Amino acid sequence: MGRNPSDLLIFIGKRLLQLVPVIIGVILLTFVFTHLDLTNVCSEWYTHAGAGTIANCKRTVDQPWTTQLSEYFVNLAHGNFGATQFGTPVGPSVAAYLPATLELVLAALFLMIVVGIPLGVVAAQYSGRWGDHLVRLFYLSGWATPTYLGAVIAAVFLAPFLGLPTRGDFSTATVPFPQYTHMSVVDALLAGNLPYTADAISHLILPAAVLAFINMGIATRMTRASMLEVLPLDYVRSARMKGLSEFWVLYKHALRNALITTTTVLGITAGGLLAGTVVVEEVFDWPGIGQYAYDAIGGGGSTPNFAGAIAVVIIFAIAVVAANLIADILYGVLDPRVDWR
Amino acid sequence: MTDPVLRVEDLSIAYTVGAGTFRAVSGVSLDLHPGKVVGIVGETGCGKSTLAQAIPRLLPEPPASIGHGRIVFRGTDLVQVPKRKLPMIRGTGIGMIFQEPLNSLNPAYRVLDQISESIRIRHYRDMGYVRTFVGGEVPFDYSKRPTATVTGSLAKGIIPDGALEEAARDRLRTRSEFRNEVLEYLRLVRINDPETILRLFPHELSGGMRQRIMIAMALSERPSVLIADEPTSALDVTIQAQVLTLMKELIDEVNTAVLFISHDLGVIAETADEVGVMYAGRIVEQGPVAEVFHDPRHPYTKALLRAAPNRYKSDGPLSAMAGNVPNLAKLPDGCAFHPRCPLARPACRAVVPPLAPLAGTSPPPDISAHKSACFFPDEVPGLP
Repeated sequence: MGRNPSDLLIFIGKRLLQLVPVIIGVILLTFVFTHLDLTNVCSEWYTHAGAGTIANCKRTVDQPWTTQLSEYFVNLAHGNFGATQFGTPVGPSVAAYLPATLELVLAALFLMIVVGIPLGVVAAQYSGRWGDHLVRLFYLSGWATPTYLGAVIAAVFLAPFLGLPTRGDFSTATVPFPQYTHMSVVDALLAGNLPYTADAISHLILPAAVLAFINMGIATRMTRASMLEVLPLDYVRSARMKGLSEFWVLYKHALRNALITTTTVLGITAGGLLAGTVVVEEVFDWPGIGQYAYDAIGGGGSTPNFAGAIAVVIIFAIAVVAANLIADILYGVLDPRVDWR
Repeated sequence: MTDPVLRVEDLSIAYTVGAGTFRAVSGVSLDLHPGKVVGIVGETGCGKSTLAQAIPRLLPEPPASIGHGRIVFRGTDLVQVPKRKLPMIRGTGIGMIFQEPLNSLNPAYRVLDQISESIRIRHYRDMGYVRTFVGGEVPFDYSKRPTATVTGSLAKGIIPDGALEEAARDRLRTRSEFRNEVLEYLRLVRINDPETILRLFPHELSGGMRQRIMIAMALSERPSVLIADEPTSALDVTIQAQVLTLMKELIDEVNTAVLFISHDLGVIAETADEVGVMYAGRIVEQGPVAEVFHDPRHPYTKALLRAAPNRYKSDGPLSAMAGNVPNLAKLPDGCAFHPRCPLARPACRAVVPPLAPLAGTSPPPDISAHKSACFFPDEVPGLP
């Protein structure tokens, strides 16, 4: 028994191996939708020279589907997601848009953790009393708010009231500077520019807060439920008996164990969030993958970008799977009873 | 006779659940003296554990409520202590060992962290970094020490007389010093390989081992009162014997007042100096353990002793007491035992017999006289 860091590597490795079939399955499904179900594959998928000319494409389409499949995998393995019908390769655009969404989701997740989890503890502590009811009112109103409504209310009413910007990730007055990571706050910090960092954060607050408010319920509710499960247990009583104050009993002894379930659920939510920011990004003009996906399917009167839409589907699927993986690993780390071997 | 370190006076506790009120403990009085073990014995549901948990005010209030009575610990009535000050009385004054060693340790922390937390609490209280309980007529001993602050102890470096000792005592101790103290306590509870045990999580330990850790944790706060609530009931018989031997040795070593709760007459007979027999929330018989067990003066005690399996005689079936423990929500009028009692008379149905001393007994110091809550104690020896 006992837990060695080297065993943790094995534990993570095992989980990673389990992912391989899932990702292959996702790509296979995408392949089916792109290559077998559509007639104009060449004009949509292989227009760019990177994947060959139309003639090249015709040649590939005429080949048996096994060959097509392997070629598809080879292209993906090289990070080649194809190109739009105007010849712009999809890969680099996705690489520029995805980090912005990641930043937004991480900010929302941060808010959900620092606000939602303590609220869950408070709700459990005052279970059945007015503190509990107030918390429930708060998270249920978030849960019941449609994303578009919440985003619009925040942009139209809250933004002027709080003096926060509602469009994009930087003010228009910002002089362009090198963006290494495409995460606004991180880039501004890397550039060593504090005013830009503040600007980026002020742009991030509202969309992240809307996303967090709407999804807060899951964190609060899970924390409340697992806290209620943990609080009557004997070791909480032992902690009280040690002479710890109620704060430490709740947050060190009870929450530490209650978090194990909350973490798992938060991980799954995070994956869903990555794939579900479309509306918020659209309202706040956030240059993220959701907005890219919206444009790719022809939203807002843009020209449909078939290859882009496919790439986004694959990325969303991988995001959900990866978030689950992280939750799984965190679970293994948080719960000492999980054997790493 | 010295002053008791903890005195329970006429304590009554009730649970209000739904429509019913369960009188779990009614009018219990106890004195705990340093180095003496008071045993409480009784059937399941007679209020033993409620009494044990009520003393450090561990019962969830509500549903439990302390109706009347006092719990005087070093001159302070614990019943009056406000909820937010309760951690201060639990920390370094009263220690407790629970029934379920399997669930009483936090599964998320290593043994080292859990024991050193207790030591840390005591240490910070001693040094005055954390506020101790002040209130009642006599403050606790440890709050009498001069209050030290971090800045205060730094400034002491310049002052010559006795400054070094002061600084050494008041300095925040390092992790390794806490670790060494944890090791000491693990050795105290006879753990052979404390260095290894330190790093383990509770789920990696056996039941007996976990109970030893619990005992070490309770003792590491140097409590002046130790409450052991069925500490051996959840263990295997062989482990039970080991833990019991350990507890008996430790009780002699640490000179703490002990309240030992058990349903096992044998365990109480071996451990306790004084015993209280509980029935339906009341102490029905109390006195020096040898006297109570050899010459019981309450029909319930007599029946309880008769029902205990005797390892020397195996002829015939085990005798069982007729009837059941009464419903605590609907206690019978008068003596709660009268429906099951062979001596019951009309008087028993009318009035609750008081716990009165028997004539002609002289207890050793610090042990209360033999008392019985029966109107007819002299007829008890004649019962089968």
